[in-house]
Amino acid sequence: MPHQCTTCGRTFRDGSKEMLSGCPDCGGNKFQFKPKGTSADEEPSPPDATPSAPASSPSETPSASSPSETPSAPSPPETPSASSGTAAPGEPTDPTGPADPPASAEPRESTQAGSTERVSERTGEDTAQASARSDVVSPDELDRASRDVDPDAGPGSDSTSAEEGPRPDIGELRDELNEQFESIRIVSPGKYELNLMELYDRQEYIISLQEDGRYVIEMPDAWGISDE
Amino acid sequence: MGLLTNLKDSISRVTDGLFAADEPKRIGIYGPPNAGKTTLANRIARDWTGDAVGPESHIPHETRRARRKENVEIERNGRKVTIDIVDTPGVTTKVDYKEFLDHDMDKDDAVRRSREATEGVAEAMHWLREDVDGVIYVLDSTTDPFTQVNTMLIGIIESQDLPALILANKTDLSGSDVQQIANAFPQHETIPLSALEGENMDEVYTKIAEYFG
Repeated sequence: MPHQCTTCGRTFRDGSKEMLSGCPDCGGNKFQFKPKGTSADEEPSPPDATPSAPASSPSETPSASSPSETPSAPSPPETPSASSGTAAPGEPTDPTGPADPPASAEPRESTQAGSTERVSERTGEDTAQASARSDVVSPDELDRASRDVDPDAGPGSDSTSAEEGPRPDIGELRDELNEQFESIRIVSPGKYELNLMELYDRQEYIISLQEDGRYVIEMPDAWGISDE
Repeated sequence: MGLLTNLKDSISRVTDGLFAADEPKRIGIYGPPNAGKTTLANRIARDWTGDAVGPESHIPHETRRARRKENVEIERNGRKVTIDIVDTPGVTTKVDYKEFLDHDMDKDDAVRRSREATEGVAEAMHWLREDVDGVIYVLDSTTDPFTQVNTMLIGIIESQDLPALILANKTDLSGSDVQQIANAFPQHETIPLSALEGENMDEVYTKIAEYFG
């Protein structure tokens, strides 16, 4: 039962294409990913404010679309339990499917991360999801994700980072910093471009930049804002 | 609500005015990197207080944090003007660690300096927005003043209605062209000087007293 509709509970076999256009029963578009051997619904702190499941699909494409992976999609061990039986095990995995996991071991991690995004609003992570996250996402990035209010930025960066090396988040943090603070653009380590008008217009004061793309800002006083 | 806001603003203006009469004006020394801002700040501070503000260097972005020298009392024509000098990091739109590698600096130090310089620019812009009552804008008179940074900063200063004094520094150097600076910013008075040699500082102090007194 790798996938379960979070609205009606219908389950889908790994590799199923049925869910690509939403749950056929209820039309729901949020699915929980449950890899084999996990059934307990633990409730670790659910990642907040990272909605927008569809946004994760394009960024997952690179891993899911790898042609060499698709033949192994049926992966029997992944789909032992009572699914609805509507899946087509032999069908290749559709790379555009947001929650459609290739079954081989490595890419599954990234897919789990993507699935986690999908269910983030309504369900907690199960243990496998939690471990997938902790395995591939650095604490820095989790920090960032928890305060990320941009619905498009979070999921994409999470799933992409899952495919990279031991410090996968530097480039993304840099990109994200650039998005959030277009007043300072980090071209590369030690190379910066500054938008003076933006720096001047900002109420926050950027106190320090750090090597990994993080930054410290001084917020304007709360009373100052309310007084203005 | 509007009435209350107006009343509060009025009270705020009156109290600000009362305090402003007592408190020294905070004058920011601004300009691009290597224009001689710290040399000028040190010159002013040494002339009137005996202290220095910060280290000078020919390496760009030596000043990466704003430094303040308070209560600098300048006496001109029998009149005393007290100001706080804020020496700010050089403002630029690009910082690249490679420019420091030519100055006997290894890559790690250059990258760190680059990051600190960037923070410094952010700080300088923050000060300009929040904390200065007037600006001394220092330019290297041997370089072309028609730059994006200069145009933007002068524009911001003008939009804030801050009193601004433009100084054409480094007149001791052979390539100095004060007129070029005067032509670039005809709406402002341009004062030539060499902060390093102390040339024409008398006029600079007279203008400081006039503009910021």
